[in-house]
Amino acid sequence: MPDHRQTSIPATTSRALRASGAALAASTALWAYLVYFAPLDRIQGVIQKILYVHVPCWFAAYAGFALTAACGALYLWKNDERFDRVAIAGAEVGVLFCTLGLVTGPIWAKGTWGHWWAWDPRLTVTLVLWFIYLAYLLLRSFTEGSTRTARFASVYGIAGLAAVPLNYFAIEIFGGAAMHPDNLERESLGAGMGWPFAIGALTGLLALLHLVVLRVDLENRRVAANPSAAEWDGETGF
Amino acid sequence: MNALLAVLWKDLLTESRSHDRAIAMLLLSGLMVVVFHFSLPGGATTATRAYAPGLLWVAYVFAALLGLGRSFAIELENDAIEGLARAPVDRGWVLLGKTIANWVILAFVQAITACAFALVFEMDLTPVALELAGVVALGSLGLCSVGTFFAAVAVRTRLREVMLPLLALPFYTPVLIAATRATNALFETGSVAFEPIQFLIVTDASFLIASFLLSDFVLDE
Repeated sequence: MPDHRQTSIPATTSRALRASGAALAASTALWAYLVYFAPLDRIQGVIQKILYVHVPCWFAAYAGFALTAACGALYLWKNDERFDRVAIAGAEVGVLFCTLGLVTGPIWAKGTWGHWWAWDPRLTVTLVLWFIYLAYLLLRSFTEGSTRTARFASVYGIAGLAAVPLNYFAIEIFGGAAMHPDNLERESLGAGMGWPFAIGALTGLLALLHLVVLRVDLENRRVAANPSAAEWDGETGF
Repeated sequence: MNALLAVLWKDLLTESRSHDRAIAMLLLSGLMVVVFHFSLPGGATTATRAYAPGLLWVAYVFAALLGLGRSFAIELENDAIEGLARAPVDRGWVLLGKTIANWVILAFVQAITACAFALVFEMDLTPVALELAGVVALGSLGLCSVGTFFAAVAVRTRLREVMLPLLALPFYTPVLIAATRATNALFETGSVAFEPIQFLIVTDASFLIASFLLSDFVLDE
């Protein structure tokens, strides 16, 4: 079996870390400033400001899962382990943001509607999405053999992505929104809320990017520190 | 296509000789009916009939998971799974053959479980038996297509019995939502709208096509 692993740490990783870190710091500062001075919602009051955290978490989670599926497909196509490292990072960071979205959502819902949870279509699909990528991470832990783990995880990551568009368009497809409005349209936010929302979304994506680069760097270091374990292929020893 | 028939025949013949899976699945679903009876307020009677569709599908899902887990575990003996993977045929047909074999075995278990349910919940299912069989067949095809695909993955993991439900259950959600809605409509009104049936057909077709196309990546030596 050819060794398709890249065991050296790419020099571009540290540069990418510095660049993504700097962009994230700048974006976070601007986002915090805009959120602080954003107007209060007339009905919901200050709790509505959780919108600027909640929605960016979902954009970052979707992007993380899309990254996992795309890199999974590239791994299956090119059989290059570097794609698998990015797929791991995308899933882990995606699950982190998905969890944050699942925490911030109920806090907002309890403060506004008086309920932590309602089984509206988007919430149900969201929960399924979270379970899918948690199962993805478990699959990686429990599969033996580096190439087999990567292959199975890639397939599962691609299959799981089907839940992302289903989640985003859940209201339109299934109807009956209990807690979520229709997807945002132009000028559907109140005056002065557009910029903090947009910069929040950008900050969420930059946070995803920075954490993914950090996680890929960690994986590169792990492989570089223990190349013999990386080269081991459990498939023959099954 | 010949590979599909060969695998289907092999699996059904193995099962007809050993009865391993069917008996275990029947025992589990029977035990679940008993547990449901004790867990419902006032027991399983006409008064608690509203819970019947959901509980029926819960019993079906867990029975299916038990059988699906075994469908590839038996192939580990004497490395038969390697033979399956190395056979000079399209692996998609092998997976499809296994899916249909699982579907047939599950259908047998489901028919008996439905009779037990009808007895325990004091329900007369004979007027809707045909429609119910159709809904159950469509729902089970979805369960078996996804379940067989992930059983091929789970069997190669360290905790295969744990992994199969974790991998398959999230993907069962759309099937279960449509199937329980259709079953509920059947029990309540005696007829079912086309929407959940349409949803089941689309879901089944998507799962079957996806598992066929991705079979090369999960069935390996």
